[in-house]
Parts: sequence; structure tokens; C-alpha cells
Amino acid sequence: MGKTVTLAIANDDMHQPIWWRRILSSEHPLPWLLPASALMVVFGMYPLIAAIWSSLHRKNAATRREVFDPAYNWIKIFHEPRMWDALLHTLMYTGIAIVFQLVLGMLIALLLDSDRKGYGVMRAMMTLPLVIPPAVTAMMFLLMLNGSFGVIAKGLMALGLLPPGYTILGNYSTAMAGVLLAEIWQWTPFMVLIMLAGLRSLPKEPFEAAAIDGATPVQAFFKLTLPMMSKVIAIAVLIRGVDLLRAFDYIKVMTDSGPGTATETLTSYAGRIYFGNADFPLASTVALLTLFLVIVTSTVFMRIFKVKL
Amino acid sequence: MSFREYDKKTFLVDAANDFTARRISKRSFLKKSALAGVGFSAFNLGLLGNTRRYRDSYNLIGTPAWAEETGDPEVNKWLKDVGSKFKGTKIRYTSEATPPTVVLDKLKGEFTALTGIEVEIEIVPLEQVLAKATQDVQGQLGSYDLYYLDQSWVATFAQDTVDPIANYKDKPDLAMPGMDWEDFSKPLVEGLAMYDGHWAGIPFDIPIMTTMWRQDIFDKLKLTPPNTPEEFMTCAKAIYEAEKGNGMFGTGLQAKSGHYSLECDWTQVVWNSGGSIFTKHKKFSGNDEAGIKGLQYYQELLKISPPESTNSTWDGQWQMGASGQIALVNSWDEFFPGWDAADSKVKGLWMAKRPVRGAAYRSVADAGFGEIPNAGHQGGSILGLSKYSKNLDAAWIFMQWACSKDIMTRCTLGGGFAPMRLSSFADPRVKAKEVVGPGTTRHLPIVKEIIDNDMASEPDMPLWAGFSNNEIPVNLGKLLTGQDYGGDAKKCMDDIAGQINKAVADAGL
Repeated sequence: MGKTVTLAIANDDMHQPIWWRRILSSEHPLPWLLPASALMVVFGMYPLIAAIWSSLHRKNAATRREVFDPAYNWIKIFHEPRMWDALLHTLMYTGIAIVFQLVLGMLIALLLDSDRKGYGVMRAMMTLPLVIPPAVTAMMFLLMLNGSFGVIAKGLMALGLLPPGYTILGNYSTAMAGVLLAEIWQWTPFMVLIMLAGLRSLPKEPFEAAAIDGATPVQAFFKLTLPMMSKVIAIAVLIRGVDLLRAFDYIKVMTDSGPGTATETLTSYAGRIYFGNADFPLASTVALLTLFLVIVTSTVFMRIFKVKL
Repeated sequence: MSFREYDKKTFLVDAANDFTARRISKRSFLKKSALAGVGFSAFNLGLLGNTRRYRDSYNLIGTPAWAEETGDPEVNKWLKDVGSKFKGTKIRYTSEATPPTVVLDKLKGEFTALTGIEVEIEIVPLEQVLAKATQDVQGQLGSYDLYYLDQSWVATFAQDTVDPIANYKDKPDLAMPGMDWEDFSKPLVEGLAMYDGHWAGIPFDIPIMTTMWRQDIFDKLKLTPPNTPEEFMTCAKAIYEAEKGNGMFGTGLQAKSGHYSLECDWTQVVWNSGGSIFTKHKKFSGNDEAGIKGLQYYQELLKISPPESTNSTWDGQWQMGASGQIALVNSWDEFFPGWDAADSKVKGLWMAKRPVRGAAYRSVADAGFGEIPNAGHQGGSILGLSKYSKNLDAAWIFMQWACSKDIMTRCTLGGGFAPMRLSSFADPRVKAKEVVGPGTTRHLPIVKEIIDNDMASEPDMPLWAGFSNNEIPVNLGKLLTGQDYGGDAKKCMDDIAGQINKAVADAGL
């Protein structure tokens, strides 16, 4: 009797596919979307929602109790002078790094934009700094900027640009420059590669016409190259800008936000609140503020420069 | 050719100095740098951050005799008996690279061989230890069975650890024979392990502020080792004036902005000036007259210290002593074994004495949150058993073994640092090493005197881990590096007072 029932179900199943078989068929989009969606939920949505939820609580550092108080951290953070300093440092860090990386990246790309022998190798070598972990780059520069034996610091002292024994990273007025040096050294090649790709895809005809009309290379650069490269530049700036607004590794290793708060950015400030004071709700609030800053600036940028991703 | 970790930096300093003075060619400099493994060092440092490298004594002294010893037979038998029930269990412990942890990491194989219990010790920078422990207790995860707890965090984590004394009584079947709780130095237990009348863990490490000086320089300049902060300043200025042409400074500081090391230095000068961090009314008092006097004294010292001081922690300060930049310092006794290492250029030159004493110290009753103002700031740690551990009994067995007489004494023999147990101080093997050389213990008689007479402790309060790692050193850094306050110590302290008093009030303490 049992065998008969089983067979009947099996036959029925063969004629009318059950829902999960239909879904698993190649024509249905769900199986293809599911893994990516699951990853996004676990690693993207859940942390974001957890951070938002956490930011709506007030933590008592003594008892470790968290009570629901939605406005507390948001009001507190906007009344905190250190947050405004961190915001200013974040914007400064991003702005200065972008300008240097963009200008240097374009200059180096123009130099390397050639089919002559050896240039291919040089272009390949430009990628080398990119494969070094940022924390290692930061440590290398930490040693090189050391006032006692660092090669950069000693070089600047020998040139008379710094007084003997001067500590670049231990001094309020030069610490940010020291960190930026590492950042610019490592990420300028990224700009070079993007610019090179852009330069090599430009049509030759406009440049030939300009040359026939007597345009100088400088005129050709400003009147032709730059306008034609504007989209490429905008995308490069957008990618690096988003990264720079979240700057953390170089600062953590080289100055740990110091001296004082001279190199403290929003992310390093959040880190200090999180790991130092264990105030997770407040740290989440600062992290969300950073996210908000990234979204707003990139959206505005994309509107202004009409970038479509 | 290989270089010990300790010597890499001094080797590089010498090479860089030779190169800048044009005594060697660029090619030679690059060759020497490559030889010293700059790249590898950078990578290693990048991973480890601000570890106390000078405390990584194992690397300094090679293979010491303790490695050949086999442990207490009675304890070994007990380990076999009780440990067999937990065979295959894995316990985890996270710690900074303190000497006992580093040595213990080498000895743990003995424990595993006897019990079958695996031990994983994660050695990470101090701030990462705090971060890991914080996350573990917040979620009550039990990812770590044992915590290394710095003295400044004890109050924060006391509620998350098992009282070892109570546990010893409650679980007689797991109680190690000959544990002898009375053998632990009483001042260490009271100043380090106790919170709210209970043991939060077992004392495990005790770096303590000691006055140290270079005898050769003092002889040359006909100076007498200082006894008071004023004499210290006079000596430091005399050294600076006489030796600055030779690249030597008056003293060295661990004044890295935003780092706990700066907070330690600051606390000591405040205590030495007769001040305290908190009043008995639980108000921050670094901004009172004594507190300001202490900070101004520190600002004076900074002027005659290596400029790198504002970017140095204890590691950098030790390096200043190792490279001959300083000849006088008031800092951690644990610098000693490294300075006496076999290939040290200052081997046998440094001496130690009880720390400089201020005219008067604020009484414990007049200070707040159990703070003990005195001349010898202790930077000790305890080993705490996590309440949330999923392997509580196995971890408890390991903890007792790690803190047993034999192991603690062997840790001292391996690293030359101060022991927690009275019996270790008196151990003939420890006494036999009171000579100049690798893993020296010649400073330990002084250290014991300091522990017994001068030991000072920071406040015991749950918010202290945050204050001592954030508000205080960050704002002090702003003052000392000229970012803010225009050099005005009072302004800086008033700012810190405002932040701390508000946080204490908000927490309802």
C-alpha cells in the first residue's frame, strides 16, 4: 500500500513540477540573484542596519547598559568640537591627496604615453606600489620620516629645510603632510594607470589636425586632451575620493591620529571611540556620518560632472 | 648573518648616520639596510604596531637555561591527572607581548604534553588586546578563555572574570597543589588584582617606574644619582648642557600623543608634585595647583629630551637608552635586561635605584576611585579567567599552571623581569643571575623595594580604560606638540577636567 502511494506522488510530481523546481530552472532569475543577494544582506545590509540601530542607543560606560534614545548620539556628535576637527581633516586629506595624485598621475601618464622601447616595462613597474599593503607602506614611511635615522627626514635636514632632529610625524604642523606623502606615493600609480588607459584610447585625428593648424603641445593638452579626458578624470576622482574619505590605515600606523588630533579623520575618530572608550553607539554614529558624507559628496560630484556608472 | 630584533634599529641608526656623514657610500648603506632586513622589519612592525619590543626578551637572550628544565614533579603529576579529562580541548588567550607571555608561549608545549589541552596565545599590540577583550565581553562571546588585563582596565573587566580565590575553593578537584596564594606579593595583589574586594585575576606582570642612569656618564660629569624630581631636573640639564654636542639629551620621554604611555608619564609627574588624578569627591584634579605644577615640570623635561619623544612610546624610550641618546630616565624597570643584552652597546652601564620621590604625596583617602599616589607608577597586568569561557575548567587548569611558582620563576629567568611571587625573588636561580649579562636580574632587588615601598596605582574605575587611552593622552598631545592651548598647562587640564567630569557624571559614578 505504501509503495503505491509513493509512486502516485512521484508520477504526479513529474507532470506538475513543484515550485522549487520551477525556481531552480535556468529561466527563473532567483537562483542567480540569490547568492549575491545573500552576501549583500549578510555583509552589507545587516551591518548597516545594526549600525543604524546601535546609533539610536545611549550607552552607559560604567554599567555597559544601552537604552533606546534615538537623538542622543546624533545631538552629542554635532556638539563635539573634535568631530568637526575630524571632518575638516577628512576633507583636507581627501582634497590634497586628490589634487596631488591627479596632477602627478596625469603628468606621469603623459610621460609614459609612448610606444618606444622600454615604456611598456615602465608602465608595468608603475603598478608595483599598488601591490604593497597600505599598512606596510605606512611603516616604510614611518621609518623614512624618523627624525633620527629616516632617509627622507635626514635628506630634508641636509638640505636645510628642517632643523636637526625634527620629527615630521611628531609635529602638529607637518604630521598631515607626512601621512599624505605615503598616501600619494602609493596611489598616484593608480591615477597613472587610469589616465594612461584614457590617453591611449583618444582618437589621433584631432591631434593631427591641431598640429597642422600650428597648435603647440601645451595648447593641444588644454584644448583637446583635457576636455576629451574629462569623463575619465571624473571617474578616477570619484573612485579615489570615496576611498580617501574613508582613510584609516596610513593614519593608524603612522600617527594614530596624532599628534593631538592633528591627523584625526572621521574614521580614525570612530575607531578611537570604538576601541578606546568602547562606546559602540557613538562610534556607529560617526561611522554613519562618514557614510553619509561619502554618499552626498559622490552624488553631488556625479551630478556636476554628469558621471554615469 | 642574522640580526637579533633588538640590534636591528641601532644597526640602522649607525648605518644612516655613517651615510649622512658621508663615511660610507650609498651602495654600502643600501647593502647594510638590506642586510638588516628593513623590508621585513617594516612588515613585521606593520603587523604588530606598538608592541613592547624591548620586552620581547626571548629574542634578546637566545636559548636560556630555563628551557631545559622540566617543571615541578608534583604539579606535573596533577596536570596529568586532572588534565586528561580535557584532552583535545583548545583554549585561547590574547595578550600583549609582555615578557611572561612571550616566555609562556615558549613553555606552553610542556602543558600540552602533560594534559592534552591545546593553548593558543594571540600576541597583539596593547590597543588590539583591549579591542578584542571589549568585543568579547560586550557580546559575552567566550571567544577567549583568558584575558590579559592591563592594570588600567581591571575595573572595567572585573565583572567579566572569575575570582580565582573563590574558584580555587569552589573546585577542590581542580585545585593545583602548592598554589600558595600567600606567596603573591601583597602590594601587587592589592594594587593590581583586587577590585571591589575580589580578585579580578592573578598578578602576571609588573613593570614599575624606576630611576635609571648611566654610571659612566655620571662619573664623567661628577653627578650623583637624583633622589627628588628637582635633583632629576638638575642632573638632566647638566647632562644636556655637557653632552648635547655628542648627541645626548637630558632624559627621554614616552610622550607619544594619544598613547597610554604619555598618560603613564603624566600620572607620575602629577603624583610627584603632590597631586592626584581624582579627588575624594570623584572630581578630576589634574587641573589643581599640584597637577599643573607636575605638568609644567614635564613640559620642562620635554625641552631637553630627544625631539622624537613626542612620537615615542615605551619602545622608543628604551631605544633612546640603547642607542646612547640618554643617560638618565625615570621609567620601566623592564628596560634593564635589553640594555644588558649580550651585544648591547650600553651593556652594564645602566644602574637602577628607587624612583625619585616628591616632597609629599596625596593620601589614598584624599584621592578618588582607589587611586594610590606614590613614586613608583606600576604598569602591571593580571591574567583573568573569562566568565563567558566555554572551556572554563581547562582554562582554569592552565591559568593555575601559568601562575605556579615554578613557571613564574622560569618566566623571570627567561626574561629578567620582575616576578609576582615572593619565592621567585628569593629563588637561587634568580639570585644567581644578578650579574651583568643577558636576562639579568640585577635590578630585581631594587624592584622589590619599589614594589614594597613606592608602588603607585591609577584609579580603579570602569571608565578609566577610555580616559587613559583617549581623553587624557590626546589632549596632552595637543598641548605638548603645540596643536592647542598655546603651551598653557592649566588650559589643557581644565579642558580634560571638563570632559572627564561630564563623562563621570553621565555614567552616574
